[in-house]
Amino acid sequence: MGRIEEIERSAEEIVRAFVEAASRLPELEETYYSHSLYNVVRPDGEPEPPEGRAEFRRRFISNMPSSDERGNLRVEVARWAEER
Amino acid sequence: MMVKIGFEVHLQLATGRKMYCNCPTNYQDVPPNTNVCPICTGMPGAKPLPPNERALDSAIEIALMLGCRVHTDETIYIQRKHYDYPDLPSGYQRTSLPVASGGELEGVRIRELHLEEDPGQYDPVSGTVDYNRSGVPLVEIVTEPDMSSPEHARRFLRSLIRVLEYTGKVRPEAGGAMRADVNISMEGGGRVEIKNINSVKGAYRALKYEIMRQGRMVGRGESVARETRAYLESQMVTVPMRAKEIEEDYRYIPDPDIFPIVIDSSRVERIRSAMPEPPRAREERMVREYGIPADVAGVIASERELADLYEAVVRDVDPMLAATWFRTKLKKVLNYMGLSAAEVGFSPGQLAGLLRMVQSGRITPEQGEMVLRELVSAPGDPEEIVQRLGLLPVSGEELRAAVERVIGENSKAVEDYLAGKEEALHFLTGKVLAAVRGRADPREVTEILRKRIAQPSRTSSQP
Amino acid sequence: MGGGTLEKLDSIRRGELSAAENVRRSLELIQRLDGKIRAFIELNPNALAEAEALDRRMERGERVGRLAGLAIGIKSNINVLGLRATCASRTLESYVSTYDAEVIRRIRREDGIIIGMTNMDEFACGSSGETSAFGPTDNPAAPGYIPGGSSSGSAAAVAAGFCDIALGSDTGGSIRNPASHCGVVGLKPTYGLVPRQGLIDLGMSLDQIGPLAGDVAGAALMLEVIAGKHAGECVMLDVDRVSCLDTLGDGVKGMRIGVSRKFAELTDPAIVGVIDRAVEKLRDLGAEIVEVDLPNLEHGLPAYYLIVSVEFFSATRKFDGRKYGRKIEDVCGEEVLRRIIRGRYISQKEYRGKYYQRALQVRTLIRRELLAALEKVDVLVGPTVPKLPHRLGERISVAEMYAYDYLTVPANLAGICAGVVRAGEVNGIPVGIQVQGKVLGEREVLRTMRALEAAP
Repeated sequence: MGRIEEIERSAEEIVRAFVEAASRLPELEETYYSHSLYNVVRPDGEPEPPEGRAEFRRRFISNMPSSDERGNLRVEVARWAEER
Repeated sequence: MMVKIGFEVHLQLATGRKMYCNCPTNYQDVPPNTNVCPICTGMPGAKPLPPNERALDSAIEIALMLGCRVHTDETIYIQRKHYDYPDLPSGYQRTSLPVASGGELEGVRIRELHLEEDPGQYDPVSGTVDYNRSGVPLVEIVTEPDMSSPEHARRFLRSLIRVLEYTGKVRPEAGGAMRADVNISMEGGGRVEIKNINSVKGAYRALKYEIMRQGRMVGRGESVARETRAYLESQMVTVPMRAKEIEEDYRYIPDPDIFPIVIDSSRVERIRSAMPEPPRAREERMVREYGIPADVAGVIASERELADLYEAVVRDVDPMLAATWFRTKLKKVLNYMGLSAAEVGFSPGQLAGLLRMVQSGRITPEQGEMVLRELVSAPGDPEEIVQRLGLLPVSGEELRAAVERVIGENSKAVEDYLAGKEEALHFLTGKVLAAVRGRADPREVTEILRKRIAQPSRTSSQP
Repeated sequence: MGGGTLEKLDSIRRGELSAAENVRRSLELIQRLDGKIRAFIELNPNALAEAEALDRRMERGERVGRLAGLAIGIKSNINVLGLRATCASRTLESYVSTYDAEVIRRIRREDGIIIGMTNMDEFACGSSGETSAFGPTDNPAAPGYIPGGSSSGSAAAVAAGFCDIALGSDTGGSIRNPASHCGVVGLKPTYGLVPRQGLIDLGMSLDQIGPLAGDVAGAALMLEVIAGKHAGECVMLDVDRVSCLDTLGDGVKGMRIGVSRKFAELTDPAIVGVIDRAVEKLRDLGAEIVEVDLPNLEHGLPAYYLIVSVEFFSATRKFDGRKYGRKIEDVCGEEVLRRIIRGRYISQKEYRGKYYQRALQVRTLIRRELLAALEKVDVLVGPTVPKLPHRLGERISVAEMYAYDYLTVPANLAGICAGVVRAGEVNGIPVGIQVQGKVLGEREVLRTMRALEAAP
């Protein structure tokens, strides 16, 4: 537990340094994107053919910590479902 | 007790590809984890493709149908909404800022509408996840809590589905394409949100249960706290969801990997001019234009294709006749055969041809229904069908001959009638109709029999 | 190493050196020396076979790609199908890449031979090369000192001659910093020029993949191969390709080259000395040296760390251990955890305006200043790091570690391009000069770097 607290404390240092530095800086608009080429969209159409996906599926499943025979990923059971 | 009910309805949009990748969207037709790629499974390093344009256009169309104002020339960020759940491959869901706001339906205000992506399918009982559905485009419609009863809520949802089916831009409801989060607050109580509702019926039942549950609590003197509950379909109850499953702070940030969307008004106008007439407007116009009653127009307008068929047919047929037929016989036959108006094989012209024959009296309404059944199961020219079924009205000669034959073969019935038994006449009518295979009007046949039997020179008994 | 990248390519094409021989030499060197240097995490078992297949194609007279036969090292945060993109972390220790990053597709198309996955700071969270879960990397040019980070293995691999060119990634200096410490060439391209599809994120709005090489020509060549628009990605510039090899040797005569007093203020005098001598060389070569103002430069650092923490927190939510690998918070190192915790904290609803959004405002300030300075000149030059690298294993504070990034983060915040080439040394430790250019100003940057490289 001491380790986590230490990390939290050291994480905050630069945040404090930032607030200190920023207090003397002007307010401007935020930069979220380096370049504003907004409004890029992709037309709908025929989906990717299945051949490429079969390979990916195999690799995806082989990386799974646990899967079932149908290819579903196995994860935890929900607690609220369990209780009923 | 005052009740306020609101919805957040999620609907899948009908697109070929997913929202941020080119995987197919038919998630129910394939084995688990088949329609997937690095993007929709949250593989390390996978970046989204630009958003699906058809999804955007569909959302705009739906917004217009609901009378919303589309947010043009605004920077609509796609945000990351972070929470931890097994069906969310990247640990966040991509959801846009509102695309539109300020509409109305069935007296319920639409607060806003935005684009999202579907998570995968998590079965909480077996503990498995299938990502086929992950990334399918969704539109979320948020209402104000303007509904005051489960019945109002049900009416709203049904009306909403009707409007959406009119656009043709959403996947049909069957199969989980509609999901709703319902919120309800009763007088003085906290706002309860109910998740995991997948149908109109489910919403209705969940609300009824919740009102009863909250009513009981208040009756016991308990106050209803603000909470999130889950609806269990099989038991028709709501249960508390564990706090761990509910993330309060989603830590929204604009997704740095997706440029924001800016909708310009020319896109909106293009969509508006191409979109179908909304159902309510169509209903009202049909009443005005064709002089049919509102309730009949309502039934016809309940399905866009049915209304399309009607309006094509009335070019050649009396609107009232057509309306009555659509309201009764056509609906009956379609229901019996389990078909929707969109699935019929006959053309409007063929149906119009049939109705013209009924209108002009060439065939009786009863015969018309026979032809209609045939038309639905084996579409073709109604004239041919009438011929094939032998339904053309019987000639006067043939009818008279049949009457003679029947009178000759059924002397007992004739005597019974003369003795005063009215039913015997009906019996004889039936026999005549059978002999001419229905190709005569029953009332007419009865009259002919009545007259004929009254003429003594034609009785069978000969000296 | 001897001989330039282009010369080697030529001799491979002419048949004097086979691709297989080139790869064999690399693998031998790695076998002999990498036990101590630890530049690689995993080698490509098919590298030799791929090189042999390429040789057979060349023997048949078939056309081959622009990287034909060159040995390429790939930083372990880039997906290479069949190899593990571990990010030097226990989190992804077992993750076998399920697809090729777009840059890898382009390298394969040009017949580059991928030798293996290079070591790095865990999840690119570092500037020293010491935080890898698989052991720290040594600096081949200054043994016993840190190689820098986070592309530590890529820089060390090039410096040790283990490969001809390597790919790294740069979010706050992670290509340039190790390039400077190891005395090799590194380039961070303009943001949005090189596709990031397949790069495991540190900070999405800041990351760029870029080349490290033994010479400027090698870096320029690799840039030409990997740069350019890709339909499978959203946030990219509308540029189909770049060419910078053609103007590489144009020299700096008549160029306006900017310097700033601010750089010297933030930097160790010994390093400043090396840089000043390099600037003199540029003046001698005919460039006009112009003084520019960068009054708020140092405020970029704290703003950077806030932004990158928020983005990294978001990026790591997928490492929940359900689909692959392990849950990140369970197994990661200190600095990774530090950034996740910081990111989680400052992205809270009630703090967004105070921290994240405010940091994005400071980003605007830094960006404006830098772009304004670049309006006046063709490129800016200065030191890459404010202090000399420390010794491996020396314990320094978090703040001291972050301080390495003062001079490199501004280019990431602004989205401009920047490259590093060796300018000299202090006590045997390499010192690289950083050349920063405008958006899509790679030609001017590389040209300046080449002029310095070629100068006596």
